[in-house]
Amino acid sequence: MRRLGTGLLTLWAAVTFAFFALRLAAGDPISSLLSQGLASPEQADALRTSLGLDSPLPVQYLRFLGGLTRGELGRSLYTQRSVAATIAQQAGSTLRLAVAGLLVAAVVGLALGIAAGTFRTSLFGRTASSLAGFATAIPAALTCVLVLWAATSLAQSSPFLLPLTRSESLLLPALALGIASSGALARVIQSGLEDNFDAPYLLAARARGVQPGPRLIWHALRPVLPLAVSFLALEAALLLGGTVVTETVFARPGLGRLLVSSILIGDYPVVQGLVLLAAVVYTLTHVAADTLSAIIDPRLRPSA
Amino acid sequence: MRAAPSLWASAAWLTAIALACGLAPVLTSSSTIHPVGPPLLTPSEFPLMGTDHLGRDEWSRWLYGGRISLLASLSAAGLAVVMGTGAALLAQGIGGAADTTLVGGSSAAMAIPGLLLALLFVAIMGPGTDTLILAVGIGLAPGFARLARQALLQVRTEAYVGAAAALGAGGMEAAQRHLLPNALPRLLSLATTHYAWAFAAITTLTFLGLSGDISRPEWGSMLNAARPYLRIASWLAFFPGAAIAATILSVHTLGAWVARRRSGRWPVVSDQ
Repeated sequence: MRRLGTGLLTLWAAVTFAFFALRLAAGDPISSLLSQGLASPEQADALRTSLGLDSPLPVQYLRFLGGLTRGELGRSLYTQRSVAATIAQQAGSTLRLAVAGLLVAAVVGLALGIAAGTFRTSLFGRTASSLAGFATAIPAALTCVLVLWAATSLAQSSPFLLPLTRSESLLLPALALGIASSGALARVIQSGLEDNFDAPYLLAARARGVQPGPRLIWHALRPVLPLAVSFLALEAALLLGGTVVTETVFARPGLGRLLVSSILIGDYPVVQGLVLLAAVVYTLTHVAADTLSAIIDPRLRPSA
Repeated sequence: MRAAPSLWASAAWLTAIALACGLAPVLTSSSTIHPVGPPLLTPSEFPLMGTDHLGRDEWSRWLYGGRISLLASLSAAGLAVVMGTGAALLAQGIGGAADTTLVGGSSAAMAIPGLLLALLFVAIMGPGTDTLILAVGIGLAPGFARLARQALLQVRTEAYVGAAAALGAGGMEAAQRHLLPNALPRLLSLATTHYAWAFAAITTLTFLGLSGDISRPEWGSMLNAARPYLRIASWLAFFPGAAIAATILSVHTLGAWVARRRSGRWPVVSDQ
């Protein structure tokens, strides 16, 4: 309950910030339409009245908040379509990319983390550890270009792979996005495993006769999972940022590109809607992360 | 402590790249905007890094581009460190409501993804290097404030801080005199990491084409411009890409080293 209250407060702060920052600093959104020659002065006045932009800012703000409680986000200044519909239209593509990316991140992160945490002293484990560090540190843009380069070189030598490099294919964008966000997960798993392999309970397990192998790894891995799952959930919130870059590099339609283009043309209602969406996703994933950890690890449940 | 080879390599790379970019006017004479030969020339004696799709000298663009990438991220990280440390210090010095405000305010600010915040700044101020510095700096500041607060809190648990409080040194005085100097090693390590983050953010934003002035090359925008030529001229992506990767990894290596050796090695005890 307390969590929900904080979440709502965070949402309100984010939306309010976006509303006032955009209005105060950039001024009247309609005048940018005028200056770009997209509307005549009469049309601009009519638009101002119909969008309610002629009333004072606090009134607009209250009206905007009132609209939010009814689930209305306003209309795009350029297409006149409702913001909700504009976002919904692009959301599918981004959602597919984000889910696929998250899957890749989970698989790659788990594999790298287990390899790095289990084979600590061998070259194999240290390579995995460096790869994880590399994936975390490198900006997503570079990962995308690397994936694109690897794919084009592969397709050059084996042309049957060519369909994979087409822009409609989800494979490359998902790989790039997933690899870019796998490093943090790998780090969490690695350090957890390293701690647990030194823990007395693992020594006890080995004394009971558990041989080094998958079963022993599972012993060490199990306590790390709650943290890993919440990390992955938090990673989901960051994916929106990652999709901006990935969608640009791979020329995919989606929310990331909608955001960049709306900002560059000054379509404030759409930007506000996307800010709200980002904040909602962030808050929801935090709640989801807490809930998931509590399900996996009973110690984290609030005591009754 | 014996330094690992990776530490030497990192320090060497950072020194070399800072020197090379700083001495760009000495190391190259060709323009960054006018063609010096046919497009997509392979690297050779001249042009050292080949030419881009417009026949411009890639070596020259790489050096001058690095200047912007390195300096802009330095300014952004500096902004975040100064704002974050200041806020944390005030919150710890005043305590009570100020501290609650810092924690609450920074979590609200952190709910807006960094990239989104930066894009909002671009919407408000228009594209440009200054916008990016401000956007990245302000974007990183709440997170830095939180970590700086933790670093200060850690010092607060030390016995001598309690002793100083018992002797009447509380509030801002204690924060400035005891908490800040003793948290410095930790703050330095955080600042190093934040430089790497600022660098990654700046190159990402310029990659997206938000650096404004397209006549001024920058590593991120060079990487983006090289994208269509990955197959036929992969070196155009390699040079800026490798520079970005090497710089970030080196800074992280240095940051980890600072963090490791922070315990007790710092001359922090101020004369009373």
